[in-house]
Amino acid sequence: MDDIRRTSSELENHLIDEMIAGRITRREFVRRGTVMGMSIPLLSMIVAACGGANNSGGGSGSTGGGGTPKKGGTIKVAIVVPTGAINPVTVGDQGGLCMLGQVGEFLTIADPETLELAGHLADSWTPNADASEWTFKLKSGVTFQDGSPMTSADVVYTMDLLSDSKGGSNALSVFGGVLDKGGTTAVDDLTVKFTLLAPNGNFPYLVSRDNYNAIIIKNGSDPKDFQNTFMGTGPFKKEKYTTQVGASFVRNDAYWDKANPALPDRVEFTFYEDEPPQIQALQGGTVDCVGQISVSGGRALLTDPAYTIIDVPSTAHRQVHMRNDKAPFTDKRVRQAMALSMDRPGIIEALFAGKAKLGNDSPFAPQYPSTDTSVPQRAKDIEQAKQLLSDAGMANGFSVTLNTEKAYEIPDLALQIQANAKEAGINVNILQQSPTVYYGDFTFGNSPWLDSTMGITDYAHRSVPNVLLGAPLLSTGTWNSAHFKNPTYDGLVKQYFGATDLQTQKGIAKQIETLLLDETPIMFLYFYDFLGATKKSLAGVVITPVGHVQLEKAGFTT
Amino acid sequence: MARFILRRLGLAVITLWLISVWVFCSIQLLPGNVGRSILGPLASPTAVATLNHQLGTDKPALTQYKEWVTGVVHGDFGTSQKLQVPVRPQLTTALRHSFELALVAFLIVVPLSLIGGTIAALRLGSAADRGITITGLSLSAVPEFVTGVVLIAVFGIWLNVLPISATWEPGSGIGSQVQHLLMPAIALSGVLFGYIARMARAGMVEALDSDYVRTAVLKGLPRRTVIWRHAMRNALLPTITVIATQLGYLIGGLVVVEILFNYQGIGRLIFNAAAAHDVPMLEGGAMVVGAVFLLATLAADVLYSLLNPRIRHGSAE
Repeated sequence: MDDIRRTSSELENHLIDEMIAGRITRREFVRRGTVMGMSIPLLSMIVAACGGANNSGGGSGSTGGGGTPKKGGTIKVAIVVPTGAINPVTVGDQGGLCMLGQVGEFLTIADPETLELAGHLADSWTPNADASEWTFKLKSGVTFQDGSPMTSADVVYTMDLLSDSKGGSNALSVFGGVLDKGGTTAVDDLTVKFTLLAPNGNFPYLVSRDNYNAIIIKNGSDPKDFQNTFMGTGPFKKEKYTTQVGASFVRNDAYWDKANPALPDRVEFTFYEDEPPQIQALQGGTVDCVGQISVSGGRALLTDPAYTIIDVPSTAHRQVHMRNDKAPFTDKRVRQAMALSMDRPGIIEALFAGKAKLGNDSPFAPQYPSTDTSVPQRAKDIEQAKQLLSDAGMANGFSVTLNTEKAYEIPDLALQIQANAKEAGINVNILQQSPTVYYGDFTFGNSPWLDSTMGITDYAHRSVPNVLLGAPLLSTGTWNSAHFKNPTYDGLVKQYFGATDLQTQKGIAKQIETLLLDETPIMFLYFYDFLGATKKSLAGVVITPVGHVQLEKAGFTT
Repeated sequence: MARFILRRLGLAVITLWLISVWVFCSIQLLPGNVGRSILGPLASPTAVATLNHQLGTDKPALTQYKEWVTGVVHGDFGTSQKLQVPVRPQLTTALRHSFELALVAFLIVVPLSLIGGTIAALRLGSAADRGITITGLSLSAVPEFVTGVVLIAVFGIWLNVLPISATWEPGSGIGSQVQHLLMPAIALSGVLFGYIARMARAGMVEALDSDYVRTAVLKGLPRRTVIWRHAMRNALLPTITVIATQLGYLIGGLVVVEILFNYQGIGRLIFNAAAAHDVPMLEGGAMVVGAVFLLATLAADVLYSLLNPRIRHGSAE
């Protein structure tokens, strides 16, 4: 143990101290250790030395099917049609990211279920003292599908494209305020240094598979040409890509990781506009796997033993904002009353058949290691809600219009909110709008999303809560539909971003969770699971909460 | 006749130009833009503006329209702003798919409706007449996607005898292609049957009640000759116009059926282009569907005049 201590950095030693002191669990230690760049064998050794087995593993609900997958065969998959060109810089949708993930690879990978980080194209990574610089060592021997070696020049080129604040990159939603063009430099052929705009203890997550744009592409290659070449380092290579119709990939026999070649000979993706035809295609035997199903759309599959449901916990959620600067929500007691009238377990059962986690009116989902779960869970309390309304001078209740996006389960959620609020004497009028109308011009003054008194907005999965703590809630946030302006909150978030150790993050998280529970600018009612489905005879399909369908370890069992 | 056709073709070009202006003006009024549809709702305004600049979608509307028109005049339909692929191959493939589906649907519905309408007219007021009329009305009242879902559930999933997707594997033979198109074609036939059969029935009833048919009967011509040579020829005239106008619907108006059966037709292509503000793709699609409508009605008019000497002679004068 002393040897490990001597060779470990200050941050790593601090993490070890936290576990020895019992302030974090072994599971949290492993998860956080992976972020700091400590290898799984090293973490296991430390856990064992501290008197316990590494119990961070376990069955992964993100992997479909039982039995041992056999090598060979063609796996047919139904996914949603990509909304635009397959360009790694601009892709921002599930169909597109799924295509990138077939041939492209990332520096790191976060386990879909445990959020533990593992190196993929990167061997290891270490931060400086305040986590404002991160140095990544790349694996040697990695090659692109044309046989050329992957080096730090490729990583620098890719990251500069994605982080250019003057460019049109979709990854700016992750890299904005964290990394800019020029911040990535090559130390040598296999070492890359990231110099960040501000300290960030979670940076290795930002170059993981969850930042789906961050596949490493060849230095100098034109990202617009990617949909012709599909040139990556992955275990599959393009066979055919037909815009708006589908794509097929075959095993890359020259894959650099000789120990882990793709199992299937071929994978075939068919693009669908809508969910019902995908489910019918699975039931009719046209496809073997559906990349994503909803509980309402896929109810027939959930109880059918002929199919395996892949259930991945995610931090995806809906935010129900209440305008803090507009009547009737200027008084926080009114916002609290609204939140107290919600039967969260009932809503989860009705909308997701239980396949979601409770939200506690903050972006801190239960999965995040930094979430302080000791903060009391808000539960339905109609008496207290009525009392708060009475104290706010609204003993007879009030009426409010709820703007809803006509997408996913959101219209049903609106009905649930309407029914629950009625019990507290609140009359909710629902205004359903198409996503195009709801988001409008995406700017304040020109968007029902940002201008409505009350609205419901969909937010995708994030491996770390940084983006969710920023744009929707900071005083200067560009997605601040609640118009929440609280200097104390802004200060806490700044501290959270700069915190490099888990205990500090957890302490600040507790303060943020408590503050948001009190202020209640936004209701976070649930964090729903990401679901996919396969035939029973298919095993090893990995589905991630952002929507990847990874098939390199998949195969038929019969 | 040649002058008539040439004049109609000239008018068609003007109509297409007006359609292109109308479509272009309409898309300017829709909220959103191409960059936003690619990057998604949560991308920063700066990133969206930069991408729009890179794609050229931030140019003044008139400049964009001029560029598009100049391209079309030179046979270049441009590049899809959203998909970054040339528009023409996309349109060609989608149009071919739509024609194939329309053809199978027509092969099913036209003979069935004509036979149904004729039988109903010949047995006016009988149980057969009522049965055909009520069946036609009922089928017309059920939207094609409802029929489609029922067909998929029964023939695709339960009996598992027909493919659920209308898209066939590359290299499939004609038999396999027809098999894939059968369910969507039947769903569409259900909607069209009532309409075409009703028109055929009305035309046939009117023809059978006419003086020339009475004369033919009194002349002692066999019943079959009276129906086929005298009544049917005149009874078909209004039905031909109806069938021609339905061709436009079958080519460009099948968004829901194409989505349900996962078929890449031109309706779905136009719908997606409109949703994404993809001007070149939308304009190209609108031109193709507009041209199909215009050519179909022109063909109906030509056929009408060939079958009706009064029209033919009138136009010659």
